[in-house]
Amino acid sequence: MREPRLGHRHLGFGVGLRSAHYAHILREKPRVDWFEIISENYIDSQGRPRAVLDQIAEQYPIVMHGVSLSIGSTDPLNREYLQKLKKLAAAVRAEWVSDHLCWTGVAGRNTHDLLPVPLTESVLKHVVDRIRIVQDVLERPLVLENPSSYVTFACSEMSEWEFLSRMAEDADCGLLLDVNNVYVSCFNHDCDPVEYIENVPHQRIVQCHLAGHTNCGSHLIDTHDGHVINPVWALYRRTHDLTGGMSTLIEWDAHIPAFPVVHAEVLKARQYIGDVVPSAERAAIADLTNEESVSSDDIRRQTASAIFHPPVLVAAEVE
Amino acid sequence: MSGTEIRLDQIQRWMHTVITHPGGVHGGIASSAARQQIDVSAEEIENVIDRSAALNSIERLGIYGNAYYARLIECLAVEFPALRAAVGEDAFSGFVFGFLQHHPPASYTLSDLGRWFPIYLASSRPARQDDAPDWADFLVDLATLERTDSEVFDGPGEEHLPLLQAEELSAVPPENWSDIQFQTAASLRLLEFRFPVQDFAACVRRGAESTIPAAARTFLAVSRRDYIVRHRTLSRLPFQLLCFLQQGRTLGAAIEEAVVDTGAEEQRLVGQLGEWFRAWTRDGYFVSFRLNC
Repeated sequence: MREPRLGHRHLGFGVGLRSAHYAHILREKPRVDWFEIISENYIDSQGRPRAVLDQIAEQYPIVMHGVSLSIGSTDPLNREYLQKLKKLAAAVRAEWVSDHLCWTGVAGRNTHDLLPVPLTESVLKHVVDRIRIVQDVLERPLVLENPSSYVTFACSEMSEWEFLSRMAEDADCGLLLDVNNVYVSCFNHDCDPVEYIENVPHQRIVQCHLAGHTNCGSHLIDTHDGHVINPVWALYRRTHDLTGGMSTLIEWDAHIPAFPVVHAEVLKARQYIGDVVPSAERAAIADLTNEESVSSDDIRRQTASAIFHPPVLVAAEVE
Repeated sequence: MSGTEIRLDQIQRWMHTVITHPGGVHGGIASSAARQQIDVSAEEIENVIDRSAALNSIERLGIYGNAYYARLIECLAVEFPALRAAVGEDAFSGFVFGFLQHHPPASYTLSDLGRWFPIYLASSRPARQDDAPDWADFLVDLATLERTDSEVFDGPGEEHLPLLQAEELSAVPPENWSDIQFQTAASLRLLEFRFPVQDFAACVRRGAESTIPAAARTFLAVSRRDYIVRHRTLSRLPFQLLCFLQQGRTLGAAIEEAVVDTGAEEQRLVGQLGEWFRAWTRDGYFVSFRLNC
């Protein structure tokens, strides 16, 4: 019997580190359980992003989450990139290193998107082989996330949860279950998110992501720009029951509110898993989330220009 | 479309072509590049991409196609906010759209995306009417400044090193000054512009009303101190002197060449050296020096 979370510790409730919050975090030292970084924002940084990360890593557990591994691509793996990941992981004592089951480009091009792979036996073998190579380079298990997707391929031979289950088993890697992505993809592909949640291998789920999305009527877009909706919380509760608990993180990448609002969003998770939340804290969370609640009119306005994750770039700070 | 199994690399090359095609998903599917990979027409597209209950296959691919350009335009808008303010959102999007046809992203990091944008703007500018600096020059200068700011912000710096202090220079006997050779800071960039674009960019950053400035030859030092990018406007003489020092000339040789280049009087230059070096050491332009006797 495999240990829960592949043996990784339960870090609690974390927040995705974004440059908009650097000053607040360094000044206020908020009581956050852990931070997740976008690896590509730091692996080459010789400036403020890296300096801030080094300070935060002194005080909080850090998880590295990448968007450019392109594990499903048919292009060769980028060895230089992998070495940079490994070096940063050692420097910030990363708890684990994650990326997505996707491809980002081919023929030397990068779309900077998380594109879905056909779910076939041959692609499964291709992905597993590459995960093994990555794990050999990083000298640690890789953790892979289910991406949000907007197409499926006619040649697919299995469901996404079956692909993930076999991939994790064959490659002996971990899973980052993005509950919002499950909801978004299942809506877009006319699947049952509960069946998905109930069938992924729970012992291999190291971490969970939560985020907001945009409802475009005919489809959902994973915009990471708002609060987590109730059906996603319900899936989260179910996932928690099935896994026995996992490190949980909120991603907020557009229309980013003040740090306490983002933090309050992830702390809501405690209400869904039966934690006793002190009444004062519960009231504070309610205040923060009500203040920032987004109306349906706002959502309709955003729909026309909704861009899905991941646009990640740190803007220069000029005096 | 044949009934043979499609390889993963074919699907990926096909999908990449389709969702990045400048003519949209329909143009991409019909393109020869896509049909070389998977010979499928728009009418047969469900042989490759499933439809959903709410969207047909082309509409679903279109979500990726729209997002490709929207995402990259948004990223460059973050890196070039003043340029976007100068030309407006629509023209900016048009510039980026053209740029992406010539320089499709190839790096694992979005930080590299804007590297060639100023050069693309310079190479694709409209023909000049005369020799005077024009609107296109302003835009190229502005883009060059904003890209430089990005590179200086996240590139190498000296925050972990003790920087050269003015007092250390004062301790050098005057007879040895001409032999001083400086190691300049890795972050220091010296830029010559046709417009004072730094003032325009500063207005945009502050959210203040910004008007397009008149052309004026502008010399700018861009550096980083305490992880923040700083701009210092220079006159031509100290700018030339700094350029020669950055190239590794001794102070004596740099003075001689700057005087020749600018036609300035050497005495005037020497008289201002103290003031300049106090400002430059305060801004962290020098890491160290040695006497090259």
